[in-house]
Amino acid sequence: MAKNPIIVGLEIGTTKVCVVVAEAAPGNETRILCVGQADSRGVRKGEIVDFDAAHEALRDAIADAESKSDVTIRSAYVGITGGHVTSLNNRGVVHLPGERNEISEEDAAEVKLRAGEVSIPTNNAFLHNFIQQYRVDGRDGVMNPVGMLGHKIEADYHIIHGVRNRIQNTIRLVREVPLEVDDVVFSGLASALAVLDSEQRERGALVIDIGGGTTDYVIYRDGAVHDSGCIAVGGDHITNDISMGLRVPMARAERLKIEEGGAVLGTCLPDEKIHLRGEPGFAARDIEREMLHQVIHYRLREIFELLKKRFDDERHLDYLGAGVILTGGSSQIPGIQHLAEDVFGIPVQPAQTPPLSGLTSALANPQISTALGLVEYARLVQDEHPTEGFWRRMKSRFTRALSSR
Amino acid sequence: MTNSPLPSTKPDPSADRIKVKVVGIGGAGSNVLDRLVLDAAVEVDLVSCNTDVQSLASSVASQKVQLGRTLTRGLGAGGDPEIGFAAAEEAAAEISAAIEGTPLVFIVAGLGGGTGSGAAPLVAKLARERGSLVLACVTLPFSFEGRRRREQASDSLRAIQTYADAVICFENDRMGEIVLPTAGVHDAFGRTDQIIGQCVRSVIDLVQRRGLIRLGFDDLLSALRNHDSRCLFGYAEASGHDRAALAADEALRSPLMDGGSLLPRVAHVLVNITGGTDLTLAEIQSLMQALHHRIADNAQVLFGATVDSRFNGRLGLTVIGSLPAGAFPREEPAPAPAAQIHAAIAPVLPRLAPVAPRAAPVDPPRAPDRFSPPAPAPAAAPGRHDAVRPQPSRASATPPEPTPPTPAPETVYRGRFERSEPTIVDGEDLDVPAFLRKGLKK
Repeated sequence: MAKNPIIVGLEIGTTKVCVVVAEAAPGNETRILCVGQADSRGVRKGEIVDFDAAHEALRDAIADAESKSDVTIRSAYVGITGGHVTSLNNRGVVHLPGERNEISEEDAAEVKLRAGEVSIPTNNAFLHNFIQQYRVDGRDGVMNPVGMLGHKIEADYHIIHGVRNRIQNTIRLVREVPLEVDDVVFSGLASALAVLDSEQRERGALVIDIGGGTTDYVIYRDGAVHDSGCIAVGGDHITNDISMGLRVPMARAERLKIEEGGAVLGTCLPDEKIHLRGEPGFAARDIEREMLHQVIHYRLREIFELLKKRFDDERHLDYLGAGVILTGGSSQIPGIQHLAEDVFGIPVQPAQTPPLSGLTSALANPQISTALGLVEYARLVQDEHPTEGFWRRMKSRFTRALSSR
Repeated sequence: MTNSPLPSTKPDPSADRIKVKVVGIGGAGSNVLDRLVLDAAVEVDLVSCNTDVQSLASSVASQKVQLGRTLTRGLGAGGDPEIGFAAAEEAAAEISAAIEGTPLVFIVAGLGGGTGSGAAPLVAKLARERGSLVLACVTLPFSFEGRRRREQASDSLRAIQTYADAVICFENDRMGEIVLPTAGVHDAFGRTDQIIGQCVRSVIDLVQRRGLIRLGFDDLLSALRNHDSRCLFGYAEASGHDRAALAADEALRSPLMDGGSLLPRVAHVLVNITGGTDLTLAEIQSLMQALHHRIADNAQVLFGATVDSRFNGRLGLTVIGSLPAGAFPREEPAPAPAAQIHAAIAPVLPRLAPVAPRAAPVDPPRAPDRFSPPAPAPAAAPGRHDAVRPQPSRASATPPEPTPPTPAPETVYRGRFERSEPTIVDGEDLDVPAFLRKGLKK
């Protein structure tokens, strides 16, 4: 049993449920204890469509993690994704009253409040808001305005929101296990936290997490999130395309994608064939490799082009010093980096092993970057609010549990 | 526009009238101007810009600017936006002079052709540079006009969007549903001009008239910005003791709203009620209730009321709704249905095949009879959108039979996603394999 506070990241993905158990070791180190996984069921495009099936898959994953780490999991940071998650940038403005020109804590709080006052659809809920920068009297790039002199302060915020009920669905599922939900985090953001170091965030980077059901993206510029979002298209779509295009069963298509897939055209020998062995109900036959690659190519190219179109500012790409970083299960398809480079026109690289200690061999897998990122997020949040330490949280949770009885 | 770089030019709420200029560009644009004059709608200055001298000469606008004096020498732009753009560039000084010192410039154009698509972005840019707020009201070509025109239109639309503060965009396909399938071509285009005219008029009214409950320009912008820019528009006027109910019914069933079926999906609705001094609170209440029944609970409703003594005994209702991006029905811009329409109309109108103007009723119009009202003298304004120029005599000589019911919307098997919520971006169903859709395009 670990003595240090336990942090759990939980991602209920379309392909798998992934639980990362970490230990907040003294200092700034996070030690990964184990990664629990289970095949996901009842999830489509990142959202729950069958509550009972998803519940079972979640239990399996938790049980797997608990048995591997010998830790009892009580609460988790939960990743949220789905086509409903959207983002926007907003600027709040506060004018200081005439005679005063020193910016106080209250002014900073006020401008934050103003920046958060955006009209989102009423059944949407805020997931995150991040400060990008402050401006004092029109001067850009102020990190902390408190104590500065000025008349007008502005704050640029990046706001991520999603449909409340859909977020609630995920929370309800986790509570049913029963687990406490520490926080919900946009999955794309979690992935970005996992695969980027602070230097890359500062230089600017686009992280694309192509998962099973969704493609999440986050753009960092100058150390702050500038754009983020989700397209409900992912690896499942590739499998579905293969299954329909080559007329093979879904399970076969999935295997073909993983074993023989490729995203670049013109790399196979002329007339190169892949032999499909016969199975009961499926006669053996050959398919053209180029055809398979074409199907995958068109889908992935489309995803990248959609993303490119979706960025709120076309110039984003010029500011990404660290380039594009691909992660998520589908980023393992060979040639995907070349394809992405072709679309975005800037260097693309696969996700690096995150700077964490522990089970490093498991961490190289891009499939779990979201769950790892959730742990990273937890660390960041706890650093920001050090007063709310572990024991205090335990205590408040305890009292809450007692009072609810 | 909180971040407007030009705060000083914002319409001052205290000012009685804001100076507005309506700039009609190209054939479609000048037709709408004619219509505005014909309906004696608003007291604004009209500026007509065109490459085609003939059409310019017949325009009733008070100011006229000939585009491309040396480039096209009085002829049209020949459907090429680049020529349209160059022509407008040539006349840039004249355009600037015409719109100088106007706080609000309203651009009206039909996209897809040469003059409208090419010149409209430049005019928007010039107006913006002169410190005006720019609103654009444009039409997109019929889908049967082909991919090229549609692409030209959407390129141009994108360019306009970068300069204009807000863009209201009408799809001709949808406009076609307004007219009865048996209506003459003249009538049909006159009608669509009228609808656009109404839109222009009611938006101008919205900012010009002194509101009882004021709807400012800022409200308008927030309703139209950041969205797909394809908006639903409904307008109705009614009189009599149950005028509130009548107006609500008619405005909300407008075919531009797909007979009201798209209403539950709007994210923002802007409602303006115009009435005479006899407008009662109860009427406003009943109108708003009727509206609230039809829209989603979470839609943001911006509401305004205007009292105008000219409206005594009558009541006007304007509803402008903007859809969240991608909310448009998926058969709309997809290339396949265009082909279907072709197939559907080809046998009916063999002689008009390439430009058959009334092919638009994709669905049988829902309540077209509601829209037969005060459309007078269509012949006075030879309605033609610069996109489509059918020979009128011929067209009216062949009163087309009702189009046979169109085939059911294309059924593409979506495999594993057959029953899940579709992912639709820019009108494309992303669940349908990409190679199928891309293959189609090639």
